[in-house]
Amino acid sequence: MNGVKYIVKKELTRVFTDKKLVFSLFILPVIIMVGLYSLIGRLQSAMIDDIEKHVPSVYIQNIPEGFKDVMAAAGFNGNIANLEMNADVTEIKNGILKGTTDLLVVFEIDFLNKISNYGSEGGIPEVKTYYNSSEQYSSAVRNSFVAEVLSVYQQQLLAERFGDLSQLTVFNIDVDPESSIIVDEDKAAGKLIGTMLPYFITLMLFAGAMSLGVDAITGEKERGTIASMLLTPLNRRDIVLGKLLSLSLLSVLSAAVYAVSMIVSMPNILKQLTDGNLNNLSMKFSTEQIIQLFVVMITLVYLYVALVSLVAVLSKTAKEANTYISPMYIAVIVAGMITMFTGSGEIPIERFAIPVYGSALSIQQILSGELTMVQFGAAIGGTLALSVILTFFITKAFNSEKVMFNA
Amino acid sequence: MIEISNLTKIYKLSKKQMREQKTKKSIKKAVDNVSLSAKKGELYGLLGPNGAGKTTTLRCVATLLRPTDGAIKVCGNDTIKYPEKVRESIAFLTNEIKLDPQFTPKYMFNFFGKLHGMDDKTINERRELLFKQFGIFDFQDKKIEELSTGMKQKASIAVSLVHDPEVVIFDEPTNGLDIVTARSVTDYLKVLREQGKVVIVSTHIMSEAEKLCDRVGIIINGKKVAEGTIPELLVQTGTKDLEDAFFELYKEYNQEEA
Repeated sequence: MNGVKYIVKKELTRVFTDKKLVFSLFILPVIIMVGLYSLIGRLQSAMIDDIEKHVPSVYIQNIPEGFKDVMAAAGFNGNIANLEMNADVTEIKNGILKGTTDLLVVFEIDFLNKISNYGSEGGIPEVKTYYNSSEQYSSAVRNSFVAEVLSVYQQQLLAERFGDLSQLTVFNIDVDPESSIIVDEDKAAGKLIGTMLPYFITLMLFAGAMSLGVDAITGEKERGTIASMLLTPLNRRDIVLGKLLSLSLLSVLSAAVYAVSMIVSMPNILKQLTDGNLNNLSMKFSTEQIIQLFVVMITLVYLYVALVSLVAVLSKTAKEANTYISPMYIAVIVAGMITMFTGSGEIPIERFAIPVYGSALSIQQILSGELTMVQFGAAIGGTLALSVILTFFITKAFNSEKVMFNA
Repeated sequence: MIEISNLTKIYKLSKKQMREQKTKKSIKKAVDNVSLSAKKGELYGLLGPNGAGKTTTLRCVATLLRPTDGAIKVCGNDTIKYPEKVRESIAFLTNEIKLDPQFTPKYMFNFFGKLHGMDDKTINERRELLFKQFGIFDFQDKKIEELSTGMKQKASIAVSLVHDPEVVIFDEPTNGLDIVTARSVTDYLKVLREQGKVVIVSTHIMSEAEKLCDRVGIIINGKKVAEGTIPELLVQTGTKDLEDAFFELYKEYNQEEA
């Protein structure tokens, strides 16, 4: 077993003395995660600022008496133009379509009279807004106009008609909405993160294994350096184990760097996902959960490394290996994505035993605190079984002169 | 002691390989019923043109390839039954097997020493000896990728000898080397012989073999066509030097095949 140790040590030295590898495995992820997400966050707040600074251009047809005061009281400013009853609005609608005009508001003719004569003649008058839903300025102006001006105006006129508005309320629903939500906050936070994390973890672990495995095995075959190891008295199984263990270790390290940088930039990501409505995202893990998570990830990464290594050892060139590994990468992405959309119903136990998918499911269930020991066992068992089979085939490939020497 | 008895190695050719080699046969006999032996303190030369089967034969000895038929014993151990034992007792040097270019000669030497189960003290002693012999100290801490061909070859030779093996198999060890480096390699092969090692060298440089080898075996198209000391071969072929002797044999046996 000493041989395994020396090979692991050598493989790690090889990676850590190669500046390019260190950069792509451990530094680039940080730059990408932190940089990208803070950039997205910054761009988004810049966009919001921009919308707030925008001066709306609004046309109002048949403006009722006193409406200007309502707008002034609501603080709604902008280029507001009034239109006469018979004015042609075609040009204005064209402007909205092109994005030069934000909003056209049309009050029904005789608007106030119709309201005060309610019940005696005619129906309820209408205020019609025209806006462009694909234009950010136009939508934003319309929303704030409806919420800040029209609704207020509506309440004001209602109060004029009825006096005390509370007469209109028969009963209240949830006066204090906060207190009516009964939820385990850890679980809720876990559910939210649980939809994202298994996907990212499975993906990142594979990405690490993929880039390293091809170079460490196919690359060494191409360079003719692996044969020098085959000439030592070492058992081929020990060489395979040494390779696989060192690759697993490096993949875990690379994934850990990803995970840490993701957690650092997490507030930015979540703000975008939840529109900033995020209260409590602190997660508490029990020791059991942490151990489960650790075991699931370690077995999963070994499986990935074994999968990549088997392809890598059977390929003649790194190019060939990458061609075969790409579809596997897509399969891993799909397996992770399926878990994102898994319902909360009872998941059949067999599904946990499906390698890759079962591990992603387990991570999800661990994060929401719902993984049973049986499910955990099934997931680990499935992954380990496939890993052992793969290791056996890799060793067989290392023993094959056809594979190793193209003979 | 190396004993090769009736070694045959047959490669199966893929359709692509058949096209490349312009043959309609789906198998290729790289080595055909070859028997030879080399004793302790003997420098044995395996001669033949490119593609004759020299490297394949030596790879079978080094346990990298499995004989299709026949058997090989190295220091009494069968290469199929006890490959690990065989690998413990041999040094094998060939052009296609290289040291990892990311590392320094010193790191590689220590690494392979460890894989051979040696302790630090013995490794250091061997390194002192071999690095001095081949003048590696000057570049022992440079990455192998930065070294010249000659430096790389010297490092490869030193690393292959780390465990002080009983049997030394060098496949075209002077290929691509300048005259000075080549000489230091052939001189060391003589040293190894004097130490009582079994040394097998393959080459297609006849003048080198003539000066160096105690006995030679000539392989043409996978078959051993002649074997003996240099004077014996000269008498057998009625020629004055080994190169002429080789061409006599080549004319005779290559035609047969065609």
